[in-house]
Amino acid sequence: MRHSTWLLLLALLPSPSALGAQTIQNAILRRAQQAFDNLEYRQALSLGQASLRERLNGYDRARAYELLGFTYSGMDSILKAVDAFKQVVLLEPERDLDPNRTSPKALSAFQVALTQILVIRQLRVDSVSFIGGQGAVPIRYTVTQPSRVVMRITGGTLGNMRIDSTVATGQVNIRWPARLPSGDPVPPGNYNVIVEASVGQNSFSTSQAIRVAHGTVDTVAHLTSLPGYTLLAETEVPPKSWRPMGLALVYSGVALAGTSALSNGNLGSASLREGGAIGGGIILAGFIMTLRKPAPQPARGNILYNQLLREQIARRNTEIAQENTRRRQQVALTVAPLPRTGGGR
Amino acid sequence: MRAERWNVGTMEWLTVLVAVVLSISPSVQLSAQHVSIGPQVAFGDYREVSSDLHYRGGGIGAKATLEWKKLSADIVLSKVKYKPTDAQNGTSQFNASEVDVRVRYWITGPVSAEVGFLNRKADPEFEAQSVGAITMGARMAYLLGPGVHMSLNGGLLFGAKYSGGGTTSGLGAMQLGLGLIVDALKSRVRVTGDYGFQRFSRKTGDGGAALDAPIQQSLGRIGFAIGF
Repeated sequence: MRHSTWLLLLALLPSPSALGAQTIQNAILRRAQQAFDNLEYRQALSLGQASLRERLNGYDRARAYELLGFTYSGMDSILKAVDAFKQVVLLEPERDLDPNRTSPKALSAFQVALTQILVIRQLRVDSVSFIGGQGAVPIRYTVTQPSRVVMRITGGTLGNMRIDSTVATGQVNIRWPARLPSGDPVPPGNYNVIVEASVGQNSFSTSQAIRVAHGTVDTVAHLTSLPGYTLLAETEVPPKSWRPMGLALVYSGVALAGTSALSNGNLGSASLREGGAIGGGIILAGFIMTLRKPAPQPARGNILYNQLLREQIARRNTEIAQENTRRRQQVALTVAPLPRTGGGR
Repeated sequence: MRAERWNVGTMEWLTVLVAVVLSISPSVQLSAQHVSIGPQVAFGDYREVSSDLHYRGGGIGAKATLEWKKLSADIVLSKVKYKPTDAQNGTSQFNASEVDVRVRYWITGPVSAEVGFLNRKADPEFEAQSVGAITMGARMAYLLGPGVHMSLNGGLLFGAKYSGGGTTSGLGAMQLGLGLIVDALKSRVRVTGDYGFQRFSRKTGDGGAALDAPIQQSLGRIGFAIGF
């Protein structure tokens, strides 16, 4: 391999600072890392192997194997690199290499290592909120080898409840309805989602803590109007007309003409003084009413329209009341993952 | 003759009594009713037998109205002092006290049917005819505008009895009326105006031949009423 290729590879390799906020504690391992950074692979290899004979914490041990994996990859010792990366994955199953900063050789060795051991990675429980019985909690994980995978929920008053059992490999998606076998929603509390994979003598399990909370389901507000529909005026002012004046004239005329016609001829001409006074008053009232703004009259069409609208609103409110009654008997479940405290075994 | 007058008077008072009892009875309290009552000024024209017996006068009156569902009733009392228009023909003035009671039932639209009675007494007794009759007719009412009602009524007067005797054929006595009510202060106060015309084609038996002795009155009343 030419020198320029090694430089490029070096640029792509992750530096220790990129591995996380945690720093390497062991001095030998730090020297090994420094040697690797200086492309002194043999020294890095011997120092890395020496560091593994020391008492290392989990993080340092994983970094030591990872350093060996990168070093073996750089030295084209793929099988040894795979063995080293297998140890990394066993120590930190969630460990992933950044494909943009890692050499293809190291990446392929890492992928081969993943297929050769049984681990469950990337167990994720999404935060979700839904009405009990009408939703599910999305859970997903990745299993590296074809195996029998059993998912259980433990904790709280639940005890130990199996929610899924399957033979799978790769990414698996589960939708958990968060209900007890009786159909009731899972009681509030903290639980663990445990995923166990087994094939032959090998087995692996990992867990994710979750919190289940109960809440009241929102009720729907009653309607006072239907969107887009407004009540219409139930009375309308008719246009001005001479009808009051005309009718006043007719009524008064009939009364006076009737008086005159019914009057007995032997008694002389009929007295129209009394009828004239009252009739004149009526004609005057009719004239005034003709000039005045007419009284509002019931608008039958609008009244029927409003009646239909009110019936529709009342019917909808009855449905809303029934829906609210049902909702008050329901539980709003909120499921959220809790921070991880450890990896799998 | 006296017995006839007594009979009409008894019926009149019985009806007034029933109306009053209905109005004050707790079981039919006024909450479901509209009642108005108030005084009126009356002015009239009275003629009898011939154009020589012609009287005009004025007086006072009172009108009570009761409305309940489709039923309504008017009770009108009036007392008019009639004076002869020509004092030289030997006639003298008299007081005419009239009671007019009508009960109406709304039929459809503006039309109501009405039934009632009227009784008019003349005092002094022999200056004019006292008369009593049963009224049956119809009434048309129309709302001229907000709170302004007018009405036209007409009908026949059956079973007319006269203090001086005499008879009237079935269609010989009739009446015609005109009314105006103007509501004010949310119907608490009503201005009322009424006109009533009555004609009795009375015939008296003088031996074998029947003689015409018609009676005719035009009465106008203007007043106000308090609504309850």
